[in-house]
Amino acid sequence: MAGMNAKLYSEQVLLLGEQRSLVGILTRPTMGSVAESTVQPAVVILNTGVIHRVGHHRMYVTLARTLASAGRTVLRFDFSGLGDSAQRTDHLPPLESCMADLADVLNELDQKHGIRRVVLVGLCSGADHAVLYAHTDARVAGLILMDPTLPPTRRYYFHYILQRLGNFKNWVSFVTLRSGLLRLVFTQMQSLVTARRDVREATLSGIQFSPYLALSYEKSMAHGIRALAVFTSLSPRQTYRKQMLDAFPRADFDRKLTVEYVDESDHLFTLERDRTQLSAKILGWLNTTLPC
Amino acid sequence: MNPFYLGTSSRRVFAIHEPPLRPSPRLRSAVLCYPWGSEYVYAHRSLRLLAQRLAAAGIHTLRFDYYGTGDSDGDMSQADLGGWEADTEAAIEGLQDMIGCAQVTLIGMRLGGAVAARVAMRLRRKVDAVVLWDPVVSGEEYIQTLERLGRPSMDGDAGKIEVLGYPLTASMRSAIRRIDLREYVATPPARTLMLASETLASHASLRGTARSAGAKPFDLEPVAAPLPWVESVTVTGAVPVRVLQRVTEWLA
Repeated sequence: MAGMNAKLYSEQVLLLGEQRSLVGILTRPTMGSVAESTVQPAVVILNTGVIHRVGHHRMYVTLARTLASAGRTVLRFDFSGLGDSAQRTDHLPPLESCMADLADVLNELDQKHGIRRVVLVGLCSGADHAVLYAHTDARVAGLILMDPTLPPTRRYYFHYILQRLGNFKNWVSFVTLRSGLLRLVFTQMQSLVTARRDVREATLSGIQFSPYLALSYEKSMAHGIRALAVFTSLSPRQTYRKQMLDAFPRADFDRKLTVEYVDESDHLFTLERDRTQLSAKILGWLNTTLPC
Repeated sequence: MNPFYLGTSSRRVFAIHEPPLRPSPRLRSAVLCYPWGSEYVYAHRSLRLLAQRLAAAGIHTLRFDYYGTGDSDGDMSQADLGGWEADTEAAIEGLQDMIGCAQVTLIGMRLGGAVAARVAMRLRRKVDAVVLWDPVVSGEEYIQTLERLGRPSMDGDAGKIEVLGYPLTASMRSAIRRIDLREYVATPPARTLMLASETLASHASLRGTARSAGAKPFDLEPVAAPLPWVESVTVTGAVPVRVLQRVTEWLA
């Protein structure tokens, strides 16, 4: 699809950040003037786990080209220490390092490219990074979150147990104290004692139960940030469709959050069919919510 | 580190040049050839770290994404082996133009090993050494593995399959099937190190060909290391340090 639209976008390598150590690819529409394309929010795609900016199945390259062909400016870049980007020299903890990178990148888009509003896009850990950052920067106008981390709710536990009741192995794990459910409950209880509401105290591995995650959703919605959450049927942290609303009861999602599903897709959108569906949903939401 | 696009406007290929971190008495350079598909995504980190180690050892490196892969131009379904060999030749030429070296070393992993071997056979005068990191030895053997992981594509192209999210066209499959590394070891064009982190059925035949041809500059070394191109709960992100050390030592 992107190849057919080859004349509708151009790509440029950027070295971002104070040390010029963050590697990114800026994909811009070739139709219309640059000034026109900087008025609407640009799209910034974040890493998934340790995978570099190209993404699983090259999905971020294809997505960037599709969005740019439709008139959006898109940046894909690697956080410090991932992909081709060098480590930061200030020895920040991993989560703070990502937040600092994002601030550096948005400053540069703003100062050098005139891009003052952005939509952050991420899958899994990328989605979490996006939501943890969004409320700290007024330039973030939107969030596109694919299978973001959700804390388990009572109904989640009910579904989780129901799905596993008939499996003998699960009973063995439970009795021998090796059950995933026990681990989850233990971690949740532990977090009640240890968790803090500050990003400096949060880590991405413990973000599921962090009050800072809930606070980030609350603040993002309070700031009027629009969000699209896309879930796959094999999302590892969701067992029912309304879980996101139940998980963050204090966040005012009303008219700000759109929830979409790509049924039969796995967590990484492995099939081309699922990625095409995902692209269409993202483009549709951008055109409706933050139009050109 | 210097990322840039090389090639023509109709075939732009994304590349990264890592200059040496310390001056070297002799101008040395290496071009890295990536594997394909999900193997490329998972192995990217290890190959980047290899490039950095070589740069620390005084060797210029250039790594690049073939057309239709990574950050390069083109669609994934436009991948073609002949084109990738041309991209590799363009990368060699680009590096030579940039630093003025007469010869380069080619380092290829998995399918990139087969690409590196074929290019080395064609450009004998330009290639001083070859490192094949678990290369595809028999195209037929490799295709059978891919076909086991694949499923028919849903876009109506009867010859195309999707392998872990990557389209593999009929023409690409047929080109891969023709890979036979025995041709290479029968008359190795340059000093060659071949590392094997896993044992393949095709290795026995490869050793036999090397022995009967008296292929002196050819080593096939087993190495106990994680497979960086494989995704699993325990391995993703792991770097086979032993392999990086061995390649760096062998080239230095």
